[in-house]
Amino acid sequence: MSAVRKARLLIGKPGLDGHDRGAKYVAHVLRDAGFEVIYTGIRRSPEQIVDAAIQEDVAAIGLSLLSGAHNVLFPRVVELLRERQAEDIVVFGGGTIPPKDVPKLKALGVAAVFTPGTPAREIVETIDGLLGARQAV
Amino acid sequence: MERSLVQLVCDAKCDGPQSLRSAARLMSIMTDQPQRLAELLANSRDWPQPRLVLGITGAPGSGKSTLTDHLATEFRKRHPQQRLGIVAVDPSSPFTGGALLGDRVRMMRHATDPGVFIRSLASRGRLGGLALGAKGVVRVMGLIGCDVVIVETVGVGQSEVEIAQSADFVMVVLAPGHGDSVQMLKAGLMEAGDMFVVNKADRPGAAQLHQQLLSALQTSWMARLDLAHPASDDVHRAALPSQHPHGTKCDLPPDGRFENDADFPPIFLCSASNHEGVRELADAIEAITARKADDWRAGRHQQALEEIRQAVLEEVRRRVSEVIGANGASAVRTLPVLTGEVSLKNLVDEVMQESVSRASRADRQPGTQ
Repeated sequence: MSAVRKARLLIGKPGLDGHDRGAKYVAHVLRDAGFEVIYTGIRRSPEQIVDAAIQEDVAAIGLSLLSGAHNVLFPRVVELLRERQAEDIVVFGGGTIPPKDVPKLKALGVAAVFTPGTPAREIVETIDGLLGARQAV
Repeated sequence: MERSLVQLVCDAKCDGPQSLRSAARLMSIMTDQPQRLAELLANSRDWPQPRLVLGITGAPGSGKSTLTDHLATEFRKRHPQQRLGIVAVDPSSPFTGGALLGDRVRMMRHATDPGVFIRSLASRGRLGGLALGAKGVVRVMGLIGCDVVIVETVGVGQSEVEIAQSADFVMVVLAPGHGDSVQMLKAGLMEAGDMFVVNKADRPGAAQLHQQLLSALQTSWMARLDLAHPASDDVHRAALPSQHPHGTKCDLPPDGRFENDADFPPIFLCSASNHEGVRELADAIEAITARKADDWRAGRHQQALEEIRQAVLEEVRRRVSEVIGANGASAVRTLPVLTGEVSLKNLVDEVMQESVSRASRADRQPGTQ
């Protein structure tokens, strides 16, 4: 057993688009970076994702969306976490998200947004940073 | 600071909004620090316990998750008042320690059912103490009222088979088209199986696999009987089923022929994704549970003692590792053994003594805990 155990993360695809290449790629990258990644598959409701995250006791939820519904579904996940008193679970997202939406999503509680072309290393470092900050609190 | 184990247990037991979160956190503690199962056991004597812990194992891709999903549906339909737990184990990478846990993909329709609690575990390698951690997770599932817990593991690797064996009842799932099914049987999983399922029965080769499995099981059954009886006693051999009722989904004999451990394990044909044969399978599981639940419960005291023994071993391993260092740690201690300056025995004595004195130092400074 290694001394430092990396966190558990959940990668989910809310909404109706079935383009899961990005989600699977990010899940793979995070796995190779030493995280334990729970993958939920496509077309999940925010409720399914949040309930799964609570049962799995994950440190963060990553949401992938390419349908354009991110402005509704990402904040919905944040809101459900708050309802379930689980707001300490970090939410990040990715997909085809217009840059102009990113500040809005961040203001609504999405900790990071990774748009297409983000280097894998940047994703891992950002998540490490987010979770490190969380532990320090 | 982390909330204490006792507090978490209390929160998990109460039906408040924090109940499931606390249970999930307890499960993390059990898998991260499996030696603390001993603490949990000490607090859990009067907890409710699952009536049935069902192990499901088999080769990758044989349909274990799908079968688990459909069995869960069946159990929920039959006992809507009772909660069901699922522990799904997937392998960790031996190279990075990371894991991709994908069993939930097949079970998402239960995700918002408050009567189903699903927990994915990464196997974390041979020394991860998973077998022990998984037992802790099952305990916690009992605490939150799971009547049946299904533990699903890939049937390769020692720790995975070990987890399956710690269940009350083990189901081995095979599917046609896997050249390695028979290899897997050779590797010892056959002895672990109390029941066998030939899944994907709608595919070509299922009947053939069923035949192969039957003949392999007959051979091992006969060998076991042969060894158990004196040379003159051939009564039991006559009882061996020479002709199997092929094509039937359920061959559980009506008159309780499977009453003891020497019984011939039943084989079922299922097509889990079509929910075919799953009802019959659930019937058989329920029948066996009704017959054996009392025995299983009686066996759990013994099991708990064994779990404490394992927790002790795990804690000793952890403490000794702290002194000797993890993989790739400094060779200051190990090099003198290689060069012959220090004997292995002396190094071990030294490490163990240091481990003891560290622990007593920590006891004197409770603030550091």
